[in-house]
Amino acid sequence: MDSSRVIPVPLVLVIDDEESMRDSCSQIIAKLGCRVETAEDGAIGLAKIRELKPDAIIVDLKMPGIGGLDVLNEVRLIDPQIVAIVITGYATVDAAVEAMKRGAYDFLPKPFTPDELRLILARALERRRLSIEAETLRREKKLLQDNIITMVSHQLRSPLVAIQQYFEVLLSGIAGELEAKPREMIRKASDRLTSLLELVNDWLQLARIDGGGLVAAFRPVELRPLLDRLIDFLAPLAREHDVTLEWGAPPGSGIAAFGDGASLEQVFTNLLHNGIIYNKKGGRVQVRLGEDSDEVTVEVRDTGIGIAAEHLPLIFDQFYRVHRSEETKAKGSGLGLSIVKKIVDAHHGRVEVSSEPGLGTVFTVRLPKAPREGSSG
Amino acid sequence: MTDEKAKILVIDDDPDFRDAVTAILTSGGYRVVPATGPEDGKAKLLSERPDLILLDIMMDSLFDGYVLCHAVKTAPEFESVRATPIVFVSAVKDIAGARFGFQGGGEGLSEPDDYIDKPVKPAVLLARVQSLLAKK
Repeated sequence: MDSSRVIPVPLVLVIDDEESMRDSCSQIIAKLGCRVETAEDGAIGLAKIRELKPDAIIVDLKMPGIGGLDVLNEVRLIDPQIVAIVITGYATVDAAVEAMKRGAYDFLPKPFTPDELRLILARALERRRLSIEAETLRREKKLLQDNIITMVSHQLRSPLVAIQQYFEVLLSGIAGELEAKPREMIRKASDRLTSLLELVNDWLQLARIDGGGLVAAFRPVELRPLLDRLIDFLAPLAREHDVTLEWGAPPGSGIAAFGDGASLEQVFTNLLHNGIIYNKKGGRVQVRLGEDSDEVTVEVRDTGIGIAAEHLPLIFDQFYRVHRSEETKAKGSGLGLSIVKKIVDAHHGRVEVSSEPGLGTVFTVRLPKAPREGSSG
Repeated sequence: MTDEKAKILVIDDDPDFRDAVTAILTSGGYRVVPATGPEDGKAKLLSERPDLILLDIMMDSLFDGYVLCHAVKTAPEFESVRATPIVFVSAVKDIAGARFGFQGGGEGLSEPDDYIDKPVKPAVLLARVQSLLAKK
């Protein structure tokens, strides 16, 4: 549907097998200031609808060959915004109901006066204009919503990042050495700011997924190199927590999911990150990549503190935290797993979790496979 | 590049961020040329001929960091400064919600020589800059 077709001079197509009817309708419509085209049967009418994309059609219900009701069915498929007015000499209630059911805007029994036709047609064209306008508005709102997310994300984050950058400079002693007490306070302020930045980032991420911007960018994403990079990237964090990262994939390459690479990376970052920080000293996080005929699977298994059965159904909820005690004190925004779930859902995949308190947790992400390319390049 | 201090072009639309980064780079013995955005950065790149560029991605305008980076790496007008290393400095999640998103060659844009998270750790920034300048 092309909204630029809201043109000043509407085009009306009259489909009727009676020549006198076509002529009189044409004259009436022309006086309304519309352009008119005519067709003498249903088949020609449909051809002209496809070719000319009229704003409105006036169609006789009773025609030899393709009748008015068939035309209505087809019009709905060609462009549901085309308004249709049905005319017939057999003005039965049944015929009217049937025509309206098939999307006709209104019904005009023969004989009718020029004013009756003009009135109905004017109303029909107005309705078409409004419906196109609503459609345009809906699309503009969607676009605006996407832009707002990007704009807010920039405007919200920029000041926070600038503040944090000053803290970094102060803490590094570049601007002069700090005494222990102010230094400690700035470090605390900086930690709080880091949490706030994470929260803002995560929240914006959710907003972006809700905005539906993800799906448009789907393409085959090779998971092995993506996970290679992630494991490398997270190695320092794992060392810091005294956790070993183990990573295995079946031989050969080309295990690819169909999706958005950046978002999938976010999924595995969040899962690995949790596996590391909620682990115990000397623990392990094992990542395994696999595939079957139509799915790819990534399993993230940790030897951490585990999640009690009663928490399991809730862990993907926003802001739900399993570990609330002071010792394990809240890390991150509480949105990590809901982001995982949202992204995986948007990929028509599944994320499963099983856990044994004290022993560890296994997250399994299943994603639709990317369609195989014709050649194995 | 031994006696002469290396010159670094910092392109970022946030004045405070430029200020803080300038403090870090100056402490490392570098000269800093600040630029307020891609247009300004483009002009200063050609007039000042820096040894390295720190480039914010600045997603909020059409002529953003990606475009400038791609232009420097490919466009004829930047022939003379083509080899200048470019480091993207941006809050990672500006990109696509992910860390390596900028490598998405699918967009057909040239990649930078390095990438640093915003806010930057002073030690990390100085180390990366030093290693890129050493490669030159």
